[in-house]
Amino acid sequence: MSDFLASLTQVQQWISSLAARYTVFFPTPHGEANYRFTAIGADDDVRFAPYRPTITPPVKLLVPAREELFRFQHKEDGDLLLSPSVDSSFRVIAGVRPCDLKGIFLMDLFFERGVADPYYLARRENTAIIGYACTTPCTDRVFCAAVDSLDHRQGADLFLTPLASGEILVEANTERGIGLLDSTDLPPCEDGPARKIGAIAARPETYGRSFDADVQSLSGIVEQYWDSPLWDKHTERCFSCGTCNLVCPTCYCFDVRDNLALDTVSGSRTRTWDGCMLPGFAQVAGGHNFRPQPAGRQRHRVKRKFEYLPTKYGHGPVCVGCGRCGRQCTVDIDIYDIVHDLIEGGKS
Amino acid sequence: MNQGQTDYAALAAATYLPATAKIVEIREMTARERYYRLELPQPLGHRPGQFAMVSVLGVGEAPISISCGPRDDNQLEMVIRNVGRLTRVIHGLKEGDTLGIRGPYGSGFDLDHFYGKDVVFIAGGLGLVPLRSLIIPVMAEPSRFGAVTLVSGCRNPAEELFREDLKQWSQVPGATVIRLVDATENMPWKFDVGLVIDPLPKLPLDPVKTVVAMCGPPVMYKFVLMTLQAKNLGPEQIFVDLERRMKCGVGKCGHCQMNHLYCCQDGPVFQLSRIGALKEALR
Repeated sequence: MSDFLASLTQVQQWISSLAARYTVFFPTPHGEANYRFTAIGADDDVRFAPYRPTITPPVKLLVPAREELFRFQHKEDGDLLLSPSVDSSFRVIAGVRPCDLKGIFLMDLFFERGVADPYYLARRENTAIIGYACTTPCTDRVFCAAVDSLDHRQGADLFLTPLASGEILVEANTERGIGLLDSTDLPPCEDGPARKIGAIAARPETYGRSFDADVQSLSGIVEQYWDSPLWDKHTERCFSCGTCNLVCPTCYCFDVRDNLALDTVSGSRTRTWDGCMLPGFAQVAGGHNFRPQPAGRQRHRVKRKFEYLPTKYGHGPVCVGCGRCGRQCTVDIDIYDIVHDLIEGGKS
Repeated sequence: MNQGQTDYAALAAATYLPATAKIVEIREMTARERYYRLELPQPLGHRPGQFAMVSVLGVGEAPISISCGPRDDNQLEMVIRNVGRLTRVIHGLKEGDTLGIRGPYGSGFDLDHFYGKDVVFIAGGLGLVPLRSLIIPVMAEPSRFGAVTLVSGCRNPAEELFREDLKQWSQVPGATVIRLVDATENMPWKFDVGLVIDPLPKLPLDPVKTVVAMCGPPVMYKFVLMTLQAKNLGPEQIFVDLERRMKCGVGKCGHCQMNHLYCCQDGPVFQLSRIGALKEALR
């Protein structure tokens, strides 16, 4: 829609100023080496530091670990009150990297299509997103370029690109994005597209880890494997702890639980994160488990990211290459290594 | 995204809030299974083979098969096995108590696949419960079908479900009911002993006009399907009703996924031609 130019300081001050008006989440240092998307205050120091991907991706602000579906109350007169708990509060998520933006874009598809999910959609509709382009690989784990998420832009109300000049190109893609800029007085930028091309050209030629296969061919390659020793190879050390699911920008499977209040007549039904790597994920009443072995669960996870959901939704791999699952795995099982081996195995 | 167009609270209510159903009849069927007849605020409008999410507020929610045929009134029949936390609480409820109901969900059986055909039902254990929702409309209008055969097996005589129905169906013109137990375990039993697969080779199945509907434990499918294939029945003539863990019923929670399909929406009833090649479906 419109492009503007700003200095880094102007952008950082502007994001701080937004926090005086709205709930603003921004990647904030956590401990010595990690970052988290945290609600910031107007006086907080906002810095676009070169950071490792946050512990959990920003999309988890839209699918919280525990979320109330509805509340219930049995009244004394025998009536039952049920009230849905939809969160429509406005928030801004700023500093979203392209991989995480792609994660949000994919999550939009998962929750919009089929039976629409009111909880996700209400939150998403009331969330403004300010994206931030990557110019150098944030860790040696990433493979965003290999799965086509490095240049993902769709879904951001505003997108910021650091230019070689030190300035920031501010692209407003929605009316809401323009609205967020109303307190600023940034000069319009007429040659935004050319400057963006320049910023992309200045990136390292090999950006993070790469696959020896086209992104379009990945689904077909993964589809060829069912009974393969590679699944066992990549689960020998697995504790089935589900960390890979919890930190994934495209994992959204959930469990549903009831909570009864101490008065025993009221409570809530909530959904909580679940993970397909956890042993009981596919177990039914009576004890039969449809995926009893870790290797079968790993196969399901990889196929869901690279075969099943890509085929169903038609937007390429449902892995954005952020490297979180491999980095945070206790025993260093990396989905990149698995897919890499599948590609290599298919050649022999 | 559409901004400000949708009433999400209303959508949430329509998607996740249960209707209140009153338990109007409870019957003890076996040591573990009880029959429940429920009265809903309005008809559920289900097809045979569909299921509903049943809940007790404060305890939890689970998918339960609907056991009655399609009906216009607001009654619903289910059989619930006492097997987990929720079903243990349900078994403690009395007539007049209430349950939460969401649904109906799933594909279900399409009677158009069965009209004019010889119909074979194969039910193993609890599989008779969902299959009954199809058996009832078939047995109600036998003239619209060819020969109807029901093979119903369970572990022992004490575990047999719907005995009165089985007896009644055996008297329907053109219908054959074969009742089996794996073992009598020293209980009185005047029918056959064996697995549901045992009578199949001797059944005179016309490979051109036979349609099979089956439901049972995962272990049953492989051998039954081998037998049916040996009788030259094609995968488009066989319908299976599968079970999976489910938490939402609307294709989101991920638990019921088998390869790329979701049992709650693509199934739980599948034409074998759609899932025969899937590694995770029949295991």
